[in-house]
Amino acid sequence: MNAVNPVVDVVVKASGLTKRYGKSVAVDNISFEIPAGRIIGLIGPNGSGKTMTLKAMLGLVPFEGELRVLGLDPRTQRDELMANVSFIADVAVLPRWLRVSEAVDFVAGVHPKFDRAKAERYLKNTKLTPKMKVKEMSKGMIVQLHLALVMAIDAKLLVLDEPTLGLDILYRKQFYQNLLEDYFDEQKTIIVTTHQVEEIEHILSDLMFIRDGRITLSATMDEIGERFTEVMVPADKVEAGRAMKPIDERQVFGKSVMLFDGSVNGVTREKIAALGETRSPGIADLFVATMKGTYA
Amino acid sequence: MNTMKWLLKREFWEHKGGFFWAPIVVSAIMAIITAGSVAIGVTKGSEANIRINGQVVTKLADQFSGEEKAAAVAQFANGYMASGVPLLFVLSFTIFFYCLNALYDERKDRSVLFWKSLPVTDGATVLSKIAMALGLAPLMALLFGTILALLIVVFISLGAAAMGVNIFGGVLSSAALYLAPLQIAAMLPIYALWALPTVGWLLMVGAWARSKPLLWAVGTPLLAVGLIAWFNKMLAFGWDIDWLWKYIVGRGLLSVTPGSWFAYSPEDLEMVGRMKQVAMGPLLAQTWQQVTTPNLWIGALVGAAMIYAAIRLRRWKDER
Repeated sequence: MNAVNPVVDVVVKASGLTKRYGKSVAVDNISFEIPAGRIIGLIGPNGSGKTMTLKAMLGLVPFEGELRVLGLDPRTQRDELMANVSFIADVAVLPRWLRVSEAVDFVAGVHPKFDRAKAERYLKNTKLTPKMKVKEMSKGMIVQLHLALVMAIDAKLLVLDEPTLGLDILYRKQFYQNLLEDYFDEQKTIIVTTHQVEEIEHILSDLMFIRDGRITLSATMDEIGERFTEVMVPADKVEAGRAMKPIDERQVFGKSVMLFDGSVNGVTREKIAALGETRSPGIADLFVATMKGTYA
Repeated sequence: MNTMKWLLKREFWEHKGGFFWAPIVVSAIMAIITAGSVAIGVTKGSEANIRINGQVVTKLADQFSGEEKAAAVAQFANGYMASGVPLLFVLSFTIFFYCLNALYDERKDRSVLFWKSLPVTDGATVLSKIAMALGLAPLMALLFGTILALLIVVFISLGAAAMGVNIFGGVLSSAALYLAPLQIAAMLPIYALWALPTVGWLLMVGAWARSKPLLWAVGTPLLAVGLIAWFNKMLAFGWDIDWLWKYIVGRGLLSVTPGSWFAYSPEDLEMVGRMKQVAMGPLLAQTWQQVTTPNLWIGALVGAAMIYAAIRLRRWKDER
């Protein structure tokens, strides 16, 4: 594998990536680069094209444009690619007849980078037993099994598409905690999509907003902290605040909370600070603000 | 090669019911029924005769001439494997539905997303399913069929012994008894080649259909040939419609039935019909005669092309 792709700094490189479905365009001519060692959140509303983008990366669907994953073309080199990429595409896709022991045996049998001991160690901390079949498990347990398999694979890129959809908060927290503590390191890259943005924002290093098949925002979390500011504006300064054209405004306890984009002309940190108490916005608020159409 | 071993294990885990338990259950039921009827025959004495393959094997000892006994023994040693025939029917059904659903169910329950997250090619996956259908599954059925047939031999011989006729020695010392399973095993390569058009068609439809794969797989050829037949009749084209039924519908849907090749040459059918007792040797020879027919090879080629199409479909079709 290393002969084919020596240490890659850019894990995913897309230019002019387009995915058409009949007449509709799911992914519309997007270009981006994902460097190694990052955890990227790909955030977008339903039908925005994020799943299609991931499927294109994984070589599951045909597409137009240029796309390289670990230096390989997912259309023609998928077989090589899959030795270094693993993914959880949607929750609960493990077949119902599969037993825990069979799942571990099979992946150990076919995957050269699977660490059986690691998977078993992780499974020990769950209620799963080797004889248990997937159809006897709760959704949360199925995801635990899937995560145990995926975490034990020493892949360069891990793609997670709504991996915790429909799970309760305990399973969700545990999922991301395990991922961060026992899996992620600077050699690995994780791309994750989810609707529960609040829960993953502290683990993300990069953020990509996608809407109508286009990327509307792509930045590191540090850049976002610098660029966007949220400010609690008392009633007497609301007019002054609105004059500075916030990208979003909402009411909390009778006060206006305004969200400013520092990259817009004339909006400086000093001016924002003069309006009231400032803080970094949450991704969820930023997401709602940008998806409203104010940022088109 | 290691991957192929695990893929086959995977198929076995998933389909243990159809390929492993079903033949065992059918064998057990048949063994029990045979044992029961032998027991009844023995207790009722002269009023009942036990028949196997049409031959009365337990008459009262004094009515049993030496010639009759020899004939029964030969019949028995040669034809006992016929007791396994019901297993072959079970096998045909199992293989048919296995192939139809092999690439359909994994899309329906979306588990294809899990299988495709592993470094296993679509080609290897599809080939493992064919190896299961035309290799392991028939071998397992043959194994269980042989065990069943031997059990039945023992039951009937015991029954005969209870009536005062000892056929154990004659049956057990007959070479045919031991050759028969091997002769059937020797037919498997021809069976695998012969079944390819049906297997390929079913896999391809399963990989393609969004829903109701059975309707597509069976309905398409039936409807197409039916329509052509209707046009032919209405407009008096004089086409050879029988050919279409035989080679499109028959080869496309029924070739997974073991021995169906005998139906394609009149001489074979005649020979099988003329046989006074089942003899494996001529059946095996006639089976291998198939390698000289274009029917076998063209069918296999068409099957291989459809298998290739199934692999491409699995590679590119979105799971929904």
